[in-house]
Amino acid sequence: MNAAPFQVKSRIVNDVAVIYPKGYLNNLSGEGLVSECGRYIETGIKKIIVNFSETDLINSIGISLLLHVMEELQTTGGTLCFTDMDKVQLGIFDMLGLTKYFRFFQDEKGALQFLGGSAE
Amino acid sequence: MELKRALFNISSLADLGEEITSEKNFREKLRSLLYVVMGTFLASKGAITCQDRTGKKIMFAARKGFEKLSLEDIDFEFVREAEKNEPYHAENDAALRAAGVEIITPLWVRSEFIGTIMLSNKFTREPYTREDFEILKVIAQQIAITLNNRALFINLTEQLGDNRKLYEEMRKIYHDTLQAFAAAIDAKDVYTRHHSQRVAKYSAVIARELGWSDHDIEGIYVAGFLHDVGKLVISNDILNKRTPFTQKEMEEVKKHSLLSYKIISHIKFPWKDVENIVKHHHERPDGTGYPDALSQSDLSEGAKILALADSFDAMTSKRAYRDKMGLKEALSELNRCLNKQFDDKIMLAFCRVLDKEIKGELPEPNILPHLDKNSDLSVITALLEGLIEELSGNGED
Repeated sequence: MNAAPFQVKSRIVNDVAVIYPKGYLNNLSGEGLVSECGRYIETGIKKIIVNFSETDLINSIGISLLLHVMEELQTTGGTLCFTDMDKVQLGIFDMLGLTKYFRFFQDEKGALQFLGGSAE
Repeated sequence: MELKRALFNISSLADLGEEITSEKNFREKLRSLLYVVMGTFLASKGAITCQDRTGKKIMFAARKGFEKLSLEDIDFEFVREAEKNEPYHAENDAALRAAGVEIITPLWVRSEFIGTIMLSNKFTREPYTREDFEILKVIAQQIAITLNNRALFINLTEQLGDNRKLYEEMRKIYHDTLQAFAAAIDAKDVYTRHHSQRVAKYSAVIARELGWSDHDIEGIYVAGFLHDVGKLVISNDILNKRTPFTQKEMEEVKKHSLLSYKIISHIKFPWKDVENIVKHHHERPDGTGYPDALSQSDLSEGAKILALADSFDAMTSKRAYRDKMGLKEALSELNRCLNKQFDDKIMLAFCRVLDKEIKGELPEPNILPHLDKNSDLSVITALLEGLIEELSGNGED
């Protein structure tokens, strides 16, 4: 499978870091997502939203990377929210028992409201 | 849910296959494989270890977490005694337990211990199931083969490197032997000192100009070295004679090309036709050469090259019975003998390479250093350019 070039963008909304991974989260380039989150965690950010609206595929490598982000955030007592995830991916996270550890929202607005950040 | 889990496992095995067959560098490949394993079992930490090149030490091939794990503290003898590629709980090894290793899988290919896969507990704190162990066993077999293939590849590459080095050494010895042999031939006559070496060089540069392959160029270089080996059999009294040869002496001297052929035809060269090139280096396109009086169409390009290189060096070298020719004079003589004694195409290549050497267009001159230093190179260049134009025109007709 030819992986699309993976890119990560982010922004800060009040005390929430919103991460926008783009492409396939299925290879080592996904480590960019981990380092982007790590960069915010180092600055004291405890609330992270990962918006998957432009992420086409998450495989076992992607799951491993997301677990890594969660572990880092857990050490600071932070919260990790996922938004805009398609039903198939959501079903896999549910089957793996991960829905207890991550917060899932239909869209970024809902996650920001939950975390107390502005939706704008 | 079980179906979903089965599909996820199949998908993970597909991920594994994709990573194993990827063209990533090996370190990246192993890191990806480790991520696949950790993602499949939701392990927070993981490591793949393998034996070092001596086979005596285990080292990390990829690691995520397990920073406190020191491989020197682990009893790998115990790990080796476990079932091949079968995961087991690392509850009996204090060092593994202390570092957070929950599951260890010894990696084997046939009877060879390759390394291990180590995993921590699951992120979800759920226990590893029998099904997990079955999947991990399949993954372990694939990773073991990947590591083993890499080790085999490195061994083969090293062997290839050693063989190449040995070949180069043998090649050098071979060439040194040939040079020594050529020196012995040339030493028979003080006036022909280094003649064989120069003829070898001239022949090689002409062949290169004609577009010969490196392998074939080496062949004609060797032919150049050995073309006069038959002179070893000819009397020194004749070879070192200070007056022109009598008819009888000339007949004797003419035997040398056939003698050269007979001597070297016992050698199995890695290059084609060396012995025939040597045999026919005194043949002529007009059919009056020796020993076989071959016609132009029967002469190989190699024999034509060697004939020109040999004659040119003879002309530009001092002999017991005559002084050496100047470069201009020698070129005019070669030109005068075209079609009778020398081939147009070979002459054109020779002129071109000499012209390039004079103009500094070649990395290293091979003909020029041996020629008369007093020659006016601007005159020679003009002469060569004229010859090249004339011969090129002939070629187009």
